Amino acid sequence: MAGLLNLLYVFLYAPILYVVFVSFSEDIVWPFPLSLTSQAYADLFSNSLYADALANSLILGVGSGIISTAIATAGVIGILRYPSKRRTLIIVIFLSPLFVAELLIGISSLAFNSRILGLPGNMFSAIAANAVEGIAFSFLIILSQLVRYDWQMDEAAMVFGARPARCFWEVTLPTIWPSLLGAFLISFILAFNNLEISFYNLGAIPTLPSVAWGSLRFGLGPELFALAALTNGFVFLIFAVMYVLMRTGLVKFGYRGK
Amino acid sequence: MKPDSTWRDFLTPFVLLTGPGTLFIGVTLLVPLLTVVMFSFWRTESYELYADWNFDNYRVLFGEAAYRTFLIRSVVSAAVTSLICLVLAWPVAYYIARHGGRYRLLLVLLLAAPFFTGVILRIAALQGILGPGGLINMSLGLAGFAPIKLLMYTQFAATIGHIYLYIPFMVTAIYLSLVNFDFALLDTAKINGAGPFRAFIEVTWPLNWIGTSIGTVLVFIPCLASTITPRFLGGPNATSFGMSLSQQFGETGTWALGSAMSVVMFIFSFLVIAVLKFTIDLRRSGFTGAGR
Amino acid sequence: MSSHDDTVSLSLEDICKQFGPVKAVDGINLDIRQDEFFALLGPSGSGKTTLLRIIAGLEHPTSGRVMVGGQDVTFMPPYHRRIGMVFQNFLLFPHKTVAENIVFPLRMQNIGKAQRDDRLSWAIQLLRLQGLEARYPHELSGGQQQRVSLARGLISRPALLLLDEPLANLDRELRAEMEIEIRRYQKELKIPFIYVTHNQEEALTMSDRIAVMRNGVFEQVGNRTEVYQKPKTVFVAGFVGQSNQMEGKVDKVNGGFLAFTWQGKKLVVPHAGDAKTGELVRFMIKHEDVQIEVASRKSAIPGNHNSIPGKLRDIIFKGQTVNYLVDLEGGMEIVASGSPRDMTLAAGDLVFAFWSQDTGSSFKLG
Ligand SMILES: Nc1ncnc2c1ncn2[C@@H]1O[C@H](COP(=O)(O)OP(=O)(O)O)[C@@H](O)[C@H]1O
Ligand SMILES: [Mg+2]
Repeated sequence: MAGLLNLLYVFLYAPILYVVFVSFSEDIVWPFPLSLTSQAYADLFSNSLYADALANSLILGVGSGIISTAIATAGVIGILRYPSKRRTLIIVIFLSPLFVAELLIGISSLAFNSRILGLPGNMFSAIAANAVEGIAFSFLIILSQLVRYDWQMDEAAMVFGARPARCFWEVTLPTIWPSLLGAFLISFILAFNNLEISFYNLGAIPTLPSVAWGSLRFGLGPELFALAALTNGFVFLIFAVMYVLMRTGLVKFGYRGK
Repeated sequence: MKPDSTWRDFLTPFVLLTGPGTLFIGVTLLVPLLTVVMFSFWRTESYELYADWNFDNYRVLFGEAAYRTFLIRSVVSAAVTSLICLVLAWPVAYYIARHGGRYRLLLVLLLAAPFFTGVILRIAALQGILGPGGLINMSLGLAGFAPIKLLMYTQFAATIGHIYLYIPFMVTAIYLSLVNFDFALLDTAKINGAGPFRAFIEVTWPLNWIGTSIGTVLVFIPCLASTITPRFLGGPNATSFGMSLSQQFGETGTWALGSAMSVVMFIFSFLVIAVLKFTIDLRRSGFTGAGR
Repeated sequence: MSSHDDTVSLSLEDICKQFGPVKAVDGINLDIRQDEFFALLGPSGSGKTTLLRIIAGLEHPTSGRVMVGGQDVTFMPPYHRRIGMVFQNFLLFPHKTVAENIVFPLRMQNIGKAQRDDRLSWAIQLLRLQGLEARYPHELSGGQQQRVSLARGLISRPALLLLDEPLANLDRELRAEMEIEIRRYQKELKIPFIYVTHNQEEALTMSDRIAVMRNGVFEQVGNRTEVYQKPKTVFVAGFVGQSNQMEGKVDKVNGGFLAFTWQGKKLVVPHAGDAKTGELVRFMIKHEDVQIEVASRKSAIPGNHNSIPGKLRDIIFKGQTVNYLVDLEGGMEIVASGSPRDMTLAAGDLVFAFWSQDTGSSFKLG
C-alpha cells in the first residue's frame, strides 16, 4: 500500500515537475535538450496583467475562504451542538453544492445575474458563487473532525463563568482550529484556481485561470509556467515548515497520538 | 423570567447558526438553478431570451443523435473514472489513516497541493507528457520505437486526465471517514474469527460507506460536467456533454437550449446521488445520533 | 414557601423537566442547607444528572423554580451563577496545563494575577497537586485528573459545588480514598455539596442527607441513618443496602407489629402502617440484621426473635464481612452477614437464621 501511495504521488507530481521544468527552458513545446533560461520569469514580472490576475485570484481565494469557513463552522456547530428535527435537512442543504457541477454553478449564476438582475460580471458575485462550493467542502471537512468533539467541555467552561463568546475563544477554538484551517485552505485553493465558476461571473476581470484560458488560443505563455512554478515553490516552502514543526513535535495540528 | 415572545422562540441557537448558510446557499445556488430551469422552457433568438413557454429545447436535445452521443459518452466516462478512482483511492487512504502517524495531515495536504496549479496548466502539462509531441512518445520515437497511439488524443487519455484531476477528492473523502473509524473494531472482528478480508467486508467497508459514496459523488459530478480535459486530451472523438453545454452559453449563444442541457445534466447527477442515498442507512453508518 | 431562610442556600420548587415523552424530573422540592453534604442517590436514568444540570443552569426546567439565596435564578445562564461543578469524565481542557485548568474560573471572573496565584497555591496545597502544575491533562493518572477537576470546582469558593458521579471512573481503592477526602474538603470549606451517585455505599459513606431518586421523583429524603434503617418504600429498602425479601398475607396486626406466614413459618415483624389482616405484605431485612446459629445451639436464640431452619450452602468473603447463604426447605434462600471471626461453621451445616422482631421493614403491596 505504501508503494501505491508513492506511485500516486509520482503520478500527481509528474506534471507539476514538468511545469517547473518547462518554466526554465527556452522552448516550451519541446523543452529538450535542455537550455536553461529565466526569460519567462523576467517576462512575468514585467507584465502587469499577471500581477492583476494574481491579485484577483488572491482576493477570490481569501474572500471565499473566509466566508466558507465562517458559514460552515457555524453550521456544523449548529447541527452538532443543538439537536433538532431539521438536522438531516440542514446537512443536505449544506452539502448540496457538492452535487452541482462547477460548470452548472457558474452558468446558473451567470444566467441569474445577467438576465434576471442585469448585473455585469463583478467580484462579489464571483466570490459568492465560489463560496457556495467552498461552504460544502468546508462543512464536510469540519463536520468530519468535529463529530468527535465533546461539547460538554463548553458546558463546563460555561459553569465556570465563561460567556458563549469567551467559551468559543478559550475552549472550542483551540481544539478545533486545525480543521478550520484545513477548510479555509481547501476553499481558498478551490476559489484561487477556479476557472468555470469565476469565468462566468467575472466577465473581463482577469484571474490566473482565466488568463491561462485566454492565452490558450495563441499557445500557453511561458510566464504562466513560471508563475505556477513560483506558486508551487511557495506552497512547498509552507509544507517544509509544517514538516519541521511536526518533526520536532512543536505543533501537532490536532494530532493527539504519540 | 422566561423569555416567551414568539420571534425569540424561533431564533434558537440552531436557527441562528445554520440560518446564514441556508440563506446563502438558497440565494446563490438554488435561485440561480431555478432560473436555469425556467430558461430551459424559453426560447433564444439572436442571443435574446423570450419567455414563450415550450418544450422545444428538450425536443431538440433528445431528437438529435449528437447530443445523445455526448451525454452517453460523458455518463460512461464519469462512471468508469469513479470506479477506477474508488479502487485506487481506498488502499491509499487506508494507508495514510492507519500508518500516517503524526504526518497524516501533511500526507493528505500533499494530495491537495497540485490544486495550487490551475487545471489548465496541469492538463497542458499532462498533454506535454502524454501527447503526440509529448515526453513519452517523443522519447519512444528517439529510441526508435513506435509511439503509443492509445495515449494520443483518445478517450483513454481523457480518462487518465480525469483520474489525475479528481482522485485527490476520493482519497480525501475516504481518509476523512477512516480517521473517525475505530480500528479496534477490526481486532474485535478478528478475535471473533474473521480473516482480514472478511473483517474488511463486514466492518470497515460498511462503516465507511458514507465517506466512500461522498468521494464517488465528488469524482462523478465534475467528470460528468468536464469540458477542459476532453478538449485537450480527448481529441475530436471525445466531445463531451459539458463542452457542448458551455458552447451554448458562449459561441452559439443559445441560452435556452443550454439551460435545458443543464437541467438534463443536473438530473443525471441527481440520479447517481439518489442511487447512492438509497444504499445509505444512517442507523448502520456508525454515526451515533445521526439516525435521529 | 418563599419566606427566605438564611440557612438555606438553594431551594428547588416543583421542578419538572420533560424530554419529549420522557419525564426526566417530575416535581422535585428540595432545600439545601448552608453547609451540608447532600447526596442524590438513584439508579441510572433516574434523572439525577438532569436535576443537577437544571441547578447549574445548563438546562431549563419545563416548570418550577430554582432559588439561590432567595433569588429566582431559574433562567439565569450558567456563567452568572457562580456554581462549581465536578464532572464524571473530568472534562479538563486538554489544551491547558493543570495550573491553567485550575485558575480558569478565576480568570473568567476577571480576578487579578496576584490573587489568582494565591488561590492557585491554596488549591494545589489542598488537593496535594504539588509538582503537577505544568503538566497537561493527558499526562495525569485518573486520580490526579480527578483532583485537578475538584480543584477547578473549588478554587473560586463557589456558593455551591455540584458533583456528578465524580468517582465512577476510578478504581475501587482510589475511590475509597477519595470518598474520605471529598467529605473532608466539604467539612473544611463549609460549602454545600450536592453529590450525585448511583452507588449507595458512596452516598452512605460521605453524606449528611440523602435523597433517593427514581423515575424523576424523590422516593425518600432524610439523613443517612433514616434512609438506611427506616426506608419509606420497597424501592428504597431494596436500593440502599442489601436485603432479604419475604412476602405473605397478614395473619394478625398487633400494635406496632404484624404477623404473617412465610415458608410455613410464622414471622412477627414491624408494622407497615396501614396493612390490614388478609392483605399482602413484603418484609425486607438487611443482610447484616440476620444472624446465624448452628442447629444444635437453637436454645441460644433469644426470645422475641424470628428464626428459620435451613442448610448453610456457602460462605462468601466480602472484605471485612462474610455472607452466609442459607438454603431453606421450600427452595428459598436467606443471606446473613457477619464478622468472619465467629467462623466455626462450614458449608453443609444445619443452621438457624434468626433476627430480632423489631428490625426490618414491612410494606403493603398492591
Ligand atoms: N437531552 C436529553 N434528551 C432526551 N432525553 C434525555 C436527555 N437527557 C436525559 N434524558 C432522559 O432523561 C432521563 C434521565 O436521565 P439522566 O438525568 O441522565 O439520568 P441519570 O443521571 O440519573 O442517569 C433518561 O431517561 C434519559 O434518557
Ligand atoms: Mg447521570
